[in-house]
Amino acid sequence: MFFRMIFGTLFRQWKKMLMIAFTIALGSSLATAMLSVMLDVGDKVNQELKTYGANITVVPKENSVVNSLYEVEDGGTAVAFLREDELGKIKTIFWAFNIVDYAPFINTKVNIGGTETDAVGTWFNHHMELPTGEQLDAGVTSMRSWWEVTDGKWLDEQTADNANCAMIGTALAQKLGVKAGDTVHISGSASDADITIAGVFDAGGDEDEKIFMPLDTAQSLGDLDGKIDSIEVSAITTPDNELAVKAAKDPKSLTISQYETWYCTAYASSICYQIQEVITDAVASPVRQVADSEGAILEKTELLMLLITILSLIGAALGICNLVTASVMERSAEIGLMKAIGAQNAAVSGLVLTEIISTAVVGGVVGFFAGWGFAQIIGHTVFGSSIEMRAVVIPLVAVLVLIVTLAGCIPAIRMMLRLSPCEVLHGK
Amino acid sequence: MKKRQMYFRMITASLVRRRSRMLVALLSIAIGATILSGLVTIYYDVPRQMGAQFRNYGANMIFTPTEGTFTAEDMEAGRSRIDSGNIVGVTPYRYESVRIHELPVMAAGTDMEQTKSTSPYWSVEGTYPASSGELLLGAGLSEQFRLRVGDEVTVSYTPEFDGRSGEETVLDNTKDFTVTGILETGGPEEDYAYMAMSDLEELTGISGVIDLAELSVSASSDELKAYTEKINAEVPKIGARLVKRVTESETTVLTKLQALVLLVTVIVLALTMICVATTMTAVVTERRKEIGLRKAIGASNGGIIKEFMGEGMLLGAAGGIIGSVLGYIFAQQVSINVFSSSISFMPLIVPVTILVSVAVTGISCLLPIRSATQVDPALVLKGE
Repeated sequence: MFFRMIFGTLFRQWKKMLMIAFTIALGSSLATAMLSVMLDVGDKVNQELKTYGANITVVPKENSVVNSLYEVEDGGTAVAFLREDELGKIKTIFWAFNIVDYAPFINTKVNIGGTETDAVGTWFNHHMELPTGEQLDAGVTSMRSWWEVTDGKWLDEQTADNANCAMIGTALAQKLGVKAGDTVHISGSASDADITIAGVFDAGGDEDEKIFMPLDTAQSLGDLDGKIDSIEVSAITTPDNELAVKAAKDPKSLTISQYETWYCTAYASSICYQIQEVITDAVASPVRQVADSEGAILEKTELLMLLITILSLIGAALGICNLVTASVMERSAEIGLMKAIGAQNAAVSGLVLTEIISTAVVGGVVGFFAGWGFAQIIGHTVFGSSIEMRAVVIPLVAVLVLIVTLAGCIPAIRMMLRLSPCEVLHGK
Repeated sequence: MKKRQMYFRMITASLVRRRSRMLVALLSIAIGATILSGLVTIYYDVPRQMGAQFRNYGANMIFTPTEGTFTAEDMEAGRSRIDSGNIVGVTPYRYESVRIHELPVMAAGTDMEQTKSTSPYWSVEGTYPASSGELLLGAGLSEQFRLRVGDEVTVSYTPEFDGRSGEETVLDNTKDFTVTGILETGGPEEDYAYMAMSDLEELTGISGVIDLAELSVSASSDELKAYTEKINAEVPKIGARLVKRVTESETTVLTKLQALVLLVTVIVLALTMICVATTMTAVVTERRKEIGLRKAIGASNGGIIKEFMGEGMLLGAAGGIIGSVLGYIFAQQVSINVFSSSISFMPLIVPVTILVSVAVTGISCLLPIRSATQVDPALVLKGE
């Protein structure tokens, strides 16, 4: 009988129930969309902030000590080098997944048609097959996204004849009077080469006075085979907290459990530490300008989204609550009649609750998928990638919908239980 | 006159007597209005507030001399071409090669207070130099010379260091400094020694010279471009350039953030408004019997619609007003918590919120009332 009554309500009053289900679906889609976006916004914004370039630099240990001493006298000739064959190891550290991009650099003095200048060897879009099966295109093409190529195009390392190409800064190009497509004769300290200019770029800084070429080319010009000066690493990091600051000073000052927490959290300092572990005689340090600002912006964005999410959750909750209350109150005549023919308070409450909750489950599930769709719309429109669905969203939304629906029923049911059947039926 | 009085009495009486139901309706409208006014206020304020956060990346414009050096007056002239409200900081730099323990070192004379605004990411162990004779030493130099915070060091400067070296008739200028801070940035700044501009002028004996000025200006990239063009045209001694890395990236990220907030606002608003509409519909549908009764005693359809709509709109207006206040409070709280600055009140949002609330309630009442009035009163009263 109980089920027949419930089915009766659900089917005969389907219009009313549909409206409740619809409202609950709206509320739950709102909650799902906002929660998913909020939980993923950190990663997404972090990815966007990568346009600011590297947040970690790696230099040889000896260099970081005596660097300045020789820089002034010799004009930038480093005395210690990192090893090119170790570059791949950066993608094998604990937080390898967080390393989105990196590029090695080697500086050498060259002479182009009588003009002394700095040549930089680097990766442009170096293709790597990682032991994990992952593939990665790393290099300055993505790490110098603010370069404006004013003439020609980005050097494509993956085409066959890359070795004899280079990209040149606007200031240097102007000085030499060259443009994209020209071939220049470059003499380095060890060998000479004829290089074709693939593109001219405007970096808005010192790099405008340099010429950038593939790593091998620069190494052979300066007799620096297998050697690199520095590595710039772009990693997704967690904003620093007290632990990270303490660890950055001296990892040995931590207790074992603190050390584990630190090592297994993607702080800039722990990623630096792990890079130092795999690269021989290297010092990795966070670039404060990028790392600190990233932290601040991430924190603000996440907090902003959290507050907006809370507001919309409250809105969704009250919206559902309201409608449930309104629609239950509306049924006072029906409930009065049931009570008049002898229904117990418990039986009436059970009936109403079951009806509403079964409606809520349907609405909640539909809403969940709709909300997932909304989250994807946001992800694709704003960030051009899909929003990852976190498992934690499902129980959160389920609990929210259930609690809110119940909370909406309670005041209405209490009111109905106080109803005296004859008053209701009399129409007072 | 009589008729109007009756109209108002009926509307208010229905609102007062059916208190609990009307409260439910009012609450739902108020929530909708709160979300509307709160989110729209935040949406309009986010670019300004976030823009300020992006100034953490430091200088986005530099002044370089068109020939040799420029002076503080030139810098001031350049600075005056930018709206003063947009300027976060202007820091002059002068670089000289000096010696510490007879080894060459690059010294930079600057305005220490201003570096805090143009390079907020500098991490200083110890304190920034506050008075004359204090030195901020880059971490690289600190390592090289084994100098710690509190150590004393003598800095010497040979006027002809770059030129006629070996000439012994010129005496070195020297000055004693105390290291008050060690600078860590992870960048080239770590190999410089920073001191107050006046100290460097005293050390070198030459004053009024600036090699470079860093500016942090909070403005969109188009505005920044306009500023640089204006300065380049009007101040001949200064070449203003944008730091591409900072300005380009800021535009990219800020645009995305704004799009994010916009999209979230639109979705939340649309869903909330539908929620409000369904609640209002539920509240009105309940009163079919009343409508039937009124029709039975001779009320015209138009009259009934007018009455119910009046009631709904009154609720809508009340909800809108409550929502505007709550929304502003919410936006203010968000701004204080997230950006620790207060939000500017936008008067336009209040009427917009009230109008939208009235429109949404009006539309959501209209549909069920119309369907109720179109039915034969006898059927409605009979409950069919």
